[in-house]
Amino acid sequence: METAALIVVLVIALALFFDFTNGFHDTANAMATPIATGALKPKVAVGLAAGLNLVGAFLSTEVSQTVSHGLIRESQIDHLAFLPLIFAGLIGAVAWNMLTWLLGLPSSSSHALFGGLIGATLVGFGVAGVDFGVLLSKIILPAVLSPLTAGIIAFVVTRLAYGITRRYDGKPDGRSGFRWGQIFTSSMVALAHGTNDAQKTMGIITLALIMAGWQSQTEAEPHIWVIFACAFTIALGTYLGGWRIIRTLGKGLTDVKPAQGFSAETSTAATILASSALGFALSTTQVASGSVIGSGLGRRGSKVRWGTAGKIAVGWLLTLPAAGLVGALAALIVRWLGPWGILVDAVLALVIIVALFLRSRRDAVTAANAMSDVAESGRAVKVKKNPPPTRRQRAILREQERQKAEEKARRKAEERERERRRLDEQARAKAEKKARAKADAKKSSDEKKKSDAKKKADARAHAGGKKKADDAAKKTVGTPKKKADDAAAGDGKKKASTGKGPR
Amino acid sequence: MSVAIDWLAFLRVFLVALVGALLVVGFYSTGLRLLVRAGRVPVVAPAEFTDAITVISPKQAARAEKAAAKAARKSPLSDAQKMLARIGAYASFTLCGLAVAAGILLIVLH
Repeated sequence: METAALIVVLVIALALFFDFTNGFHDTANAMATPIATGALKPKVAVGLAAGLNLVGAFLSTEVSQTVSHGLIRESQIDHLAFLPLIFAGLIGAVAWNMLTWLLGLPSSSSHALFGGLIGATLVGFGVAGVDFGVLLSKIILPAVLSPLTAGIIAFVVTRLAYGITRRYDGKPDGRSGFRWGQIFTSSMVALAHGTNDAQKTMGIITLALIMAGWQSQTEAEPHIWVIFACAFTIALGTYLGGWRIIRTLGKGLTDVKPAQGFSAETSTAATILASSALGFALSTTQVASGSVIGSGLGRRGSKVRWGTAGKIAVGWLLTLPAAGLVGALAALIVRWLGPWGILVDAVLALVIIVALFLRSRRDAVTAANAMSDVAESGRAVKVKKNPPPTRRQRAILREQERQKAEEKARRKAEERERERRRLDEQARAKAEKKARAKADAKKSSDEKKKSDAKKKADARAHAGGKKKADDAAKKTVGTPKKKADDAAAGDGKKKASTGKGPR
Repeated sequence: MSVAIDWLAFLRVFLVALVGALLVVGFYSTGLRLLVRAGRVPVVAPAEFTDAITVISPKQAARAEKAAAKAARKSPLSDAQKMLARIGAYASFTLCGLAVAAGILLIVLH
């Protein structure tokens, strides 16, 4: 019994350490996009993530129950013999996590945990020890379907967010306001992370307590101290993991826009929270990565870089069997060496923990050894800087072009009309001028003729008048009037000749 | 050994998550759109300019604020219409918050 108590203590210690590394590793999942888009200061983001991970751990226990009351067939196995195997499984999970972390391979802490546990159980009790129905329906299928679900939802809501806020008049669209929203959505992701991931450790500890007989098998809920311990440990890990993020995050997420980040986080949070409620043990890394890829594809002109996406998918698929293999090896050591095997495993665990600690203290932080799984997923989608126009934008552009062409044609027609009028005007003016000149010429010739005729008439009249006057003068000599006239004429002539006339 | 898989549960997760995300994003986006319509274009500069962020520089933010103010001045809406749009925007944000709270409540009560 003392050995069992010792193993339970070791399991709790290692499980809490795993919980700590989970929080340390997964801060990026919750806070990658808000830091990348500048919605939150890195330190604020990390503090917020830690607090909400703590709160999230208290929200639900469904996932914990999946781990402690479903995955392993407790009725088919020897409880005390299973305790060292849980320890071996945890070593498998921690070892695989550390290896992938150091090599910069995409991985999932959750799947490493399940892989290690299943591998160790298979070595200890064969296939009878594992409930494959639960494994398939609560772990493997959610692992495959959850990134897809998150990706599809992120794609749809990204389109919706861009569609609602799009403006066609070129005025500011206010999309930077999504940064405010990101503060809440990233908080939701942190909350969801606490809800799902902290519970896995709770489930492992509860399983160990049941195996040791410290908790009733019928009691589904974890003990309150277990909830507190796991919640605080994951929060501490999240907080201490933050400083790395400040330096490493966003290398692959520089292209994430606030509207896209908001949509991706909403999708991640909604998927994890809905799954947690039904007891599906998901990998938050995979869900967040699926959302980032989906939301990237939701932007116009984006396409998948299948090479990068394939590498990520292979990493995900490898996690469960690889961690299972390491867990199985640790379990084999226990089976071969008995209690000494537990000691060997404990030493191995200590070496791994010390190595992890030393590694985290080293200054050289690169994208290869840091938590860049989500950022790596961001690289799986190529987004054009100048996306092609939407259908409505194309229609507007066509309309503008049509109007432009019409305007051009109208101007051309007006120009032609003006030119025609000008030419007409010129022709008319010319014709008028010609006509006027002709008329003037005719008029002048008529006048000339008239004046000539008048002159001739005048001349004739003058000539005729003189003759008449002479004739009349001859006649007036015989009449008194003629005498008076002649006398007046004679006086006048006289005065004019003497110079004594009136002056 | 028969393995019973509850496929309906996956469909439920998908639908619940989809509806939840649509409500949150839809209401928030509508709120932003109405806020812009009310002439209050939000210009939110990044909280901190780390090396990773290339989204917007302080200069670009200042330019965006200027453009937003200009667009607000030229808004063809009357004061009453602007007020209505603003009320609609805040109502949308409230609905968005309520959708989130309802989601969390559902999980806690489940």
